[in-house]
Amino acid sequence: MSAVATDHAPLALPPAAPATRRNVALVGTTFAIAAGIALVGGLLAAYFGARQDVVDAGGEWVDKATIPNVGMAVAYGTLLLSAFTAQWAVSAIKLDDRRQAYVAVGLTLLLGAAFLNALSFGWSQLGAAAGDGGFADHMYAVTVAHALLVVAGIVLLVVMGFRVIGGQFGPRNSEFVASAAAFWHFTAIAGAAIWWSIWFLEGGPG
Amino acid sequence: MAMTETRPAPAEQAEALPVAVPADPPGIAGWLSTSDHKRVGRLYVATSLLFLLVATVVGAVVAIEGTQSGLDVFNDATSFTQAVRLYPEALVLLAALPLLIGLATTVVPLQVGSPEIAFPRGSATAYWLYLVSGAVLIGSYLADGGPTGASREAADLWALALIGVLLAHTIALVSLLTTVLAMRTSGMTLLRAPAFTFSTLVGGSLLLLTLPVLAARLVTMYVSHHFGADFTGYDGISWAWSIPSIYLLAVIPAGVALEVVPVLARNRVRAHAATLTVLGLLGVVGVGAWAQRPETFDDLLYVAIGLAAVLPALALLGLLGDTLRAGKPKVASPLAFAVGTVLLLLLGAVAGALLSIEPLELHGTTWESGVFHLIVGAALLGGIGGTFWWASKLHGAALPEGAGFLAFLAVLGGSVLRAAGDLINGISNDLPLNAREFDTDGGTEALNALAAAGNVLLAVGALVAVLGVLAALRKRGTGVADDPWGGHTLEWATTSPPAAGNFDDPLVAVTSPTPLLADEVNA
Repeated sequence: MSAVATDHAPLALPPAAPATRRNVALVGTTFAIAAGIALVGGLLAAYFGARQDVVDAGGEWVDKATIPNVGMAVAYGTLLLSAFTAQWAVSAIKLDDRRQAYVAVGLTLLLGAAFLNALSFGWSQLGAAAGDGGFADHMYAVTVAHALLVVAGIVLLVVMGFRVIGGQFGPRNSEFVASAAAFWHFTAIAGAAIWWSIWFLEGGPG
Repeated sequence: MAMTETRPAPAEQAEALPVAVPADPPGIAGWLSTSDHKRVGRLYVATSLLFLLVATVVGAVVAIEGTQSGLDVFNDATSFTQAVRLYPEALVLLAALPLLIGLATTVVPLQVGSPEIAFPRGSATAYWLYLVSGAVLIGSYLADGGPTGASREAADLWALALIGVLLAHTIALVSLLTTVLAMRTSGMTLLRAPAFTFSTLVGGSLLLLTLPVLAARLVTMYVSHHFGADFTGYDGISWAWSIPSIYLLAVIPAGVALEVVPVLARNRVRAHAATLTVLGLLGVVGVGAWAQRPETFDDLLYVAIGLAAVLPALALLGLLGDTLRAGKPKVASPLAFAVGTVLLLLLGAVAGALLSIEPLELHGTTWESGVFHLIVGAALLGGIGGTFWWASKLHGAALPEGAGFLAFLAVLGGSVLRAAGDLINGISNDLPLNAREFDTDGGTEALNALAAAGNVLLAVGALVAVLGVLAALRKRGTGVADDPWGGHTLEWATTSPPAAGNFDDPLVAVTSPTPLLADEVNA
């Protein structure tokens, strides 16, 4: 049945398109985000598990008076705000507005650095060092791991920023920008979850 | 229907060639700098087999200690406990899982018709991180570390090395999963994806959600320990190789079996969609990061999942049995590996189901170890069987069939003997896990000797597999058929070993889960 097609070359269908790379960066970033969610979820689960053990044993998990509510609210609020500027960068690239893209990426980096600064200030205000007990150990494990994720996001943004300056992205080629922004959104949302779980629940509204 | 399978004219092929993938430089520099997924996969396979040899030797020594109550092979309890901890960590995280990742790194891009893996440098980075972290992990134990070690620095190193191994596997899985989802060739929908590729998607996705949870636990343990506390709660680690999580290790080997059996039976699996469903169910029952604490063993969900795990294993056996029965099976070592994989998986699932029934009080006994060895045995059979099956693509040479059967017998026999000793001791003697001194009534020592013999056989199997790979290296380039088995999927449509870029000619659109079989039938 295939003889007709095979013997007469003009009737042969054209070859299939070569293997396409369908949003590879975005798909990869999505999987990385999934792993990141599992990591942060696992850290928070370990935190709450240890907390429950202490509470069940009649102990005090943390002295609530020492929680730096305002400082931490500002820190994580800054990070959340930076998610909007990251999305602004995506939008600017899609509109082919390079100048806005520079400003948006720059602002996102600035806010990311501000978050790390505010977080370290909050740690200093807490007055508890790692090794001071269950709360301190778990809190530092969660917040430092998250801070490292933010640093990874900053590295991605810096790479993206240089490539924006190099003119590599445009309205039809914005996938890498969208991927970096997606990862940044993840760090912001994970930060919000951490703020709620550790700082807000323990310290109450600042 | 035949129109779409007609080969295009040469002039058109030249225009549609896939993206150019540069070849590696020759020699050692090529191996050190490679990002070719086939080479990275080979490195993974070879390294994981070496780690398997180390792990099985450690396991054999640990098991020999149990052959006589009070026997003191290790001189002190701390060294014994360290070896007990190292054994499953090395067997699962340094041997079985990387073996499967290595196979998938080589084969999945070929199966989906892609010229390369999604993140070539990511996969290469993952391999080197795995190699270094794995070596550091073993080194930390040798330096009196591990969770029970006396050296605090070496113990810290243990936690960091394990985190490094987990990070490496996570990066490798991201690259693999992205390849499956984003780089399939034209016409290959997920429902037309080969079973091995689909099993990588299912098993890999769920491992991607599980390994970071284990890493999170290690991070908290590291922080506490580094700043003065002692390691506590090894349960927070060992859940990863207990039921239900351990079932995740069997998903990709099940995919190997589903590739091998139809080809060697010269038949199709009757319902490809059913195959994919079974693989999905096998993955679902392996989601187990929630079952870390002993309190969860009473949960209805834990019992339900424990019992339900038998169903996909049974369905798998049914599917493959039906395929074999309706076909004309050709006896070859990969077929033995495939059947052994499924049988061990089924036995492990049944033993796991009994473990999940709390009134039987099997937790904490050697029954757990029996379940572990059955499932890990299934994974090893699948992984080693895969290296024999895809040897022409991995190594550019066929592996000796004799070595294949020998490795199969050693790994199957080793797993069964080890599991039998543990299971019987667990249920009839209530023998606690990893006991150095125990009541010798009920033939405990004889059963432990049986288990130890199993471990020795496992080590022999690992050694044979390593020697098989070495034999393949010597035979490389001596000529091997592109499709020595008459395969059904796209990896057999290219040369052995595949060139840089994988496929010399552009592929025609895929219209079925067995594109090469469709071509053959139509021709």
